[in-house]
Amino acid sequence: MSTRLIASFLLVFCAVAVWQVFSIPESTIQSEVGPILAPAILVALLSLLGVFYLLSAISNKAPDCVHQEEEQPLKGGAKRVSFLLGGGLAFILLTKLIGFLIPAALCGLGVSMAFDAKLNIKTLLMVLAIAGAFWTLFSAILGVDLGPLVNLSF
Amino acid sequence: MSSFDSLMQGFAVALQPMTLLYGFIGCLVGTLVGVLPGIGPALTIALLLPLTFKVPATAIFVLFAGIYYGAMYGGSTTSILLNTPGESATIVTSLEGNKMARRGRAGPALATAAIGSFVAGTIGTIALTFFAPWVVDAALAFGPAEYFSLMLMALVTVSAVLGSSALRGLISLVAGLLFGLIGIDLQTGQPRFTFGQPEFLDGIEVTIVAVGLFAIGEALFLAWQGKENKKTDVLAVSGSLWLSKEDFARSWKAWIRGSLFGFPIGAMPAGGAELPTLLSYYTEKKLSKKPEEFGHGAIEGVAGPEAANNAAAAGVLMPLLTLGIPTSATAAIILSAFESYGIQVGPTLFTQQSGLVWTLIASLYIGNVILLVLNLPLVGLWVKLLKIPPQWLYAGIVVISVAGVYGSSNSVFDVGLLFFFGVLGFGMRRFDFPAAPLIIGLILGPMAEQSMRQALTISQGNWSTFFTRPISGTLMAISIALLVVPNLLRFIRSRKQA
Repeated sequence: MSTRLIASFLLVFCAVAVWQVFSIPESTIQSEVGPILAPAILVALLSLLGVFYLLSAISNKAPDCVHQEEEQPLKGGAKRVSFLLGGGLAFILLTKLIGFLIPAALCGLGVSMAFDAKLNIKTLLMVLAIAGAFWTLFSAILGVDLGPLVNLSF
Repeated sequence: MSSFDSLMQGFAVALQPMTLLYGFIGCLVGTLVGVLPGIGPALTIALLLPLTFKVPATAIFVLFAGIYYGAMYGGSTTSILLNTPGESATIVTSLEGNKMARRGRAGPALATAAIGSFVAGTIGTIALTFFAPWVVDAALAFGPAEYFSLMLMALVTVSAVLGSSALRGLISLVAGLLFGLIGIDLQTGQPRFTFGQPEFLDGIEVTIVAVGLFAIGEALFLAWQGKENKKTDVLAVSGSLWLSKEDFARSWKAWIRGSLFGFPIGAMPAGGAELPTLLSYYTEKKLSKKPEEFGHGAIEGVAGPEAANNAAAAGVLMPLLTLGIPTSATAAIILSAFESYGIQVGPTLFTQQSGLVWTLIASLYIGNVILLVLNLPLVGLWVKLLKIPPQWLYAGIVVISVAGVYGSSNSVFDVGLLFFFGVLGFGMRRFDFPAAPLIIGLILGPMAEQSMRQALTISQGNWSTFFTRPISGTLMAISIALLVVPNLLRFIRSRKQA
């Protein structure tokens, strides 16, 4: 079932890509090959491959590691994934507002909870230490601009 | 100037204290990322790409070379002590090496892997030194049509021939090629696949895709599985780290044979380290005086494949430096580092950036010695690293990935893209789509399109130019054969069985 869903996503992706190929403006510069040819060939090829993948999914030949004993996930996989993605979302939404430290710590918290860490003082201190250490390494030592460590001026 | 003279000049630069320091840091970081599961050389080099704006080219490529070689050395430690091959090329090492460790012979397994890596790395680098100029001479005759055909052949073989499925490999490749076309078309100035978003006009950074697929995707997959906390313990380093006379006698021929398999196969545009490691393993099993030990911890089964893996790593640098063709994800990211400096990789690299290339090659020799010295004495430290709890390890990997991407552009849009590619990487991992063709496609796509357009401009729009020029036609024929023949043979076999 899930492989068919993936095949459907792939074909939807191809449909969006076809729309984008038709949105490429015609070039006013005279050349043997314009900007549309290569994208058009690739989208056509990907659509064809997507159809083949759908056929292999329908005939149950496309693998999904859920069906392999060694690779099967334990219960609660979706919850663990959402913890990790939630951490990422927190970073995206907050970092411009309140600086690097707390959003990066929240991101680290999401990841550590995705790997079954308990929400307690030790975990909070660890993720704050990780976020602080990387800000120091990148921003203070290597001079990479990560913004302020903490911004309380919002 | 001969290759030898150029190499000596390279040594003169590589042995300067600052360059040597970068090489040392690269080897240390490389071993570290090789040892740690879930983080590899491609991801590490991708995260360090922003340094190209601040550090001189020579220093950065010496650093990257150290990381690349170091990761190969470090990977064997994880395979032997944790039975977790970091990549498909080290599966064989974990097969025999972990069995040796379980029998109380972890020390000799680590020693034969480290010394074998040194021997193979050195043989591979010598071969690179003396064969690369030949390839450059041949490649100087290439025009845009030949380059396009060569890139097509590399793309076809990397995606369709080496993976477990040609269909999924090709889907990954074509998706990568399409991602590579996002942004302004450099020849006509027209935006493509930008969805009207100004953030897409400059295209998608390789760093974002590589880090998303390898770091976030891997973390998502392992979190989803939920098994990381339940993994078996790291085995203790038991037995002497020196090889006994018998172990040495059983290892040295395997090192040489492994190197001879690894370098030529790694150097082909089809590349790959899986095939030489497997060939080496089965050859050693066939030639061994104790074949019954295979599957239970035979030292030749570690020595040969480890040597093959390292020699293949040196081989991968051959098409990268001489032709500008990356055949692995790491090579693709090194290529994008060259692009960051505005350096054209290919046959002209050896003439226009001769000093840089020969310093890089010299640093590979030096790096091999540093790695041999670093690896065995510090094995206790590497073992401690393997005991970092996964919740802190992956929190660190994801936060450093986010910091690396955010720091290079100061854009949360890019961090969003990072997580988009992370989710894509998770899906690819779950449904067995290879990630390397996507990265290689992303980088080679625009270059291949440029060569195709140049060739068609020269031939005044005549597509037969790709088939009528002898070298280009031959390369096209090989590509078609590589796509068609395996499927045809499979079809004939299935018909016969029916």
